[in-house]
Amino acid sequence: MDVIAGLAQGFAVAFDPINLLYCFIGVFIGTLVGVLPGIGPISAMSLLLPVTLSGTPESGIIMMAGIYYGSMYGGSTTAVLVNIPGEAASVVTCLDGHEMAKRGRAGPALGIAALGSFVAGTFAIVALMLVAPLLAKVAVAFGPPEYFSLMVLGLTILSFLTQGSMAKALLMAAVGVLVGLVGLDQINAMPRLTFDRLELVDGIGLVPVVMGLFGVAEILANIEQQIRRDIVQSRIGSLWPSRADLKASAGPIGRGTLLGFLLGVLPGGGAVISSFASYAIEKKLSGTPERFGKGAIEGVAGPEAANNAAAGGAFIPLMTLGIPPNVVMALLLGAFVIHGLQPGPLMMSQNPKIFWGIVASMYVGNVMLLVLNMPLIGMWVQVLKAPYRILFPLILMFCIVGVFASGNAVFDVFVMIGTGVLGYLMRKFGYEAAPLVLAFVLGPMLENNLRKSLILSEGTFDIFVVRPISLACLALAAVLLIAPLLPALRKKREKVALDVTD
Amino acid sequence: MLRRAELWGGLFWLAVGMFAAWQGWLLELGTLREPGSGFVFFWLGLLICAFAASIVVGGLRGEGPLLGELWQGVRWRNVLLVVVALIVFGFLFERLGFVACSLALLLFLMTVVDPVPPRLSIPISIVAAVGVWYVLEKVLLVQLPKGSWLEDLPFLS
Repeated sequence: MDVIAGLAQGFAVAFDPINLLYCFIGVFIGTLVGVLPGIGPISAMSLLLPVTLSGTPESGIIMMAGIYYGSMYGGSTTAVLVNIPGEAASVVTCLDGHEMAKRGRAGPALGIAALGSFVAGTFAIVALMLVAPLLAKVAVAFGPPEYFSLMVLGLTILSFLTQGSMAKALLMAAVGVLVGLVGLDQINAMPRLTFDRLELVDGIGLVPVVMGLFGVAEILANIEQQIRRDIVQSRIGSLWPSRADLKASAGPIGRGTLLGFLLGVLPGGGAVISSFASYAIEKKLSGTPERFGKGAIEGVAGPEAANNAAAGGAFIPLMTLGIPPNVVMALLLGAFVIHGLQPGPLMMSQNPKIFWGIVASMYVGNVMLLVLNMPLIGMWVQVLKAPYRILFPLILMFCIVGVFASGNAVFDVFVMIGTGVLGYLMRKFGYEAAPLVLAFVLGPMLENNLRKSLILSEGTFDIFVVRPISLACLALAAVLLIAPLLPALRKKREKVALDVTD
Repeated sequence: MLRRAELWGGLFWLAVGMFAAWQGWLLELGTLREPGSGFVFFWLGLLICAFAASIVVGGLRGEGPLLGELWQGVRWRNVLLVVVALIVFGFLFERLGFVACSLALLLFLMTVVDPVPPRLSIPISIVAAVGVWYVLEKVLLVQLPKGSWLEDLPFLS
């Protein structure tokens, strides 16, 4: 099926009234959680994962995807108006966005963020549509060694890009694989680490783990601090940027889009790192770098475009290889699996309606975000004024409900509480949760492909190095593992981590 | 040195790694030609031990913050209260049912942990608990615990 015919079929799915409604709910909730600091797309998607069961697979996945790119959109509003990133990818937007707002230019800052997000989001969808079929053809040739090596590369990149100690990040990845393997052995059905508990035979659920590590841990970390919000009080004014603003932003949006898309496709890369990279590039290319951090519109346009393009690019490895490149995509994979679907190279030929329906809905969702959110800025500002002491009990209740509804078991609620406390302590002790969750999802696939590769090669590890794709992935992973040991590279990595922390 | 957070964090993961390796050993390693159920567990356990050991060494060298510094100047009492409230909620969830439990949890959090005036906390708690119950039970048809005490009432059983 060619791209045009596929897209036509996709639009037929996307314009189905029920799918339009799900898409709207997705982008609306996405923007809401993006706006609200303390709850991100990961928590919202885990919460709504059980809700997707009540509709068709395409409706549920359209909604989940909408939450993701909607949150990228909403995060910038909080960053500009409150100087708190609504979600991690908007950290950089705070630097210049809030400065613009303080100087009475909140409108153009929000406007250019919305425009940049729209342009980048649309480009990412077009690229996804063109690249995914080509990559899917290549991916058919992937065997267990390639899959294993690609997953190792993904986990290594994610560990490399996390803040602070790489040993801790790799340790988290190893723990994630371990936790992901709890339950029945996929090959010989032997129960592993189940401690004779029936609830553990099917493994530990993704939703309680994610809700605990991200939702509950985030709340625990927030309530020990006195949260102060410095909301811009002046009138927001016209959102439409001036001609000079548009001219200054065109280049950063273009570069941010390309960079974000490429980094989004890489397993382990993603929206956060692409926004930082875009900011660094724009500052370097600018003739007046001293303006950055003091309200330069380029510092908003580039990173906002980059994080939205990365959000679109991240769909490629999931849709074509079946490998989630980040935690959000891991949740989306969970949504596919719940509906009995397996994303991968055969998805486009076996489930064209779903693949193209999702792609087309992303076009629709992007337009919805632009049309709905520009006039709704006032409403989001009101949402931001809700005190956290009212929000957190409600978020906590939603977490419990979401977890219980996902498995209908109180055991899962206890898993969430346990992982919540663990996640809080991990934050305190400087361990990141993202490598753990991605490894948790990839764990069973990783083990399966490793064991299959060894069986195929009759017990030799040569199989991983005689195949070029596998060799390339492992070589890159090895370089990333060795890099922190070299003093010059270690300094660079620490600088990136420091920038992220700042 | 013994008060370093890195040391205790590393020791915790070292114990986890050793446990995983031991469990992997018990599950049978198999051979390289045919890896057993414990193969990956065992090697992952050793990998975790190696990373954890490097963190412990860092702690012994005096790297990282002191344990006390991690909770200095923060409202740790709030964290403790929320965790205890959640555990109690978990134990009472099926016995008392969703609405009663959620109402109690919300009121507790908005009254004791981070106080909100009762004119706000009471209506918000009631609307949230009943509203969520209604949407899930009646609209999305997700079954929530009704509470064993309610099921014992003759007109509801």
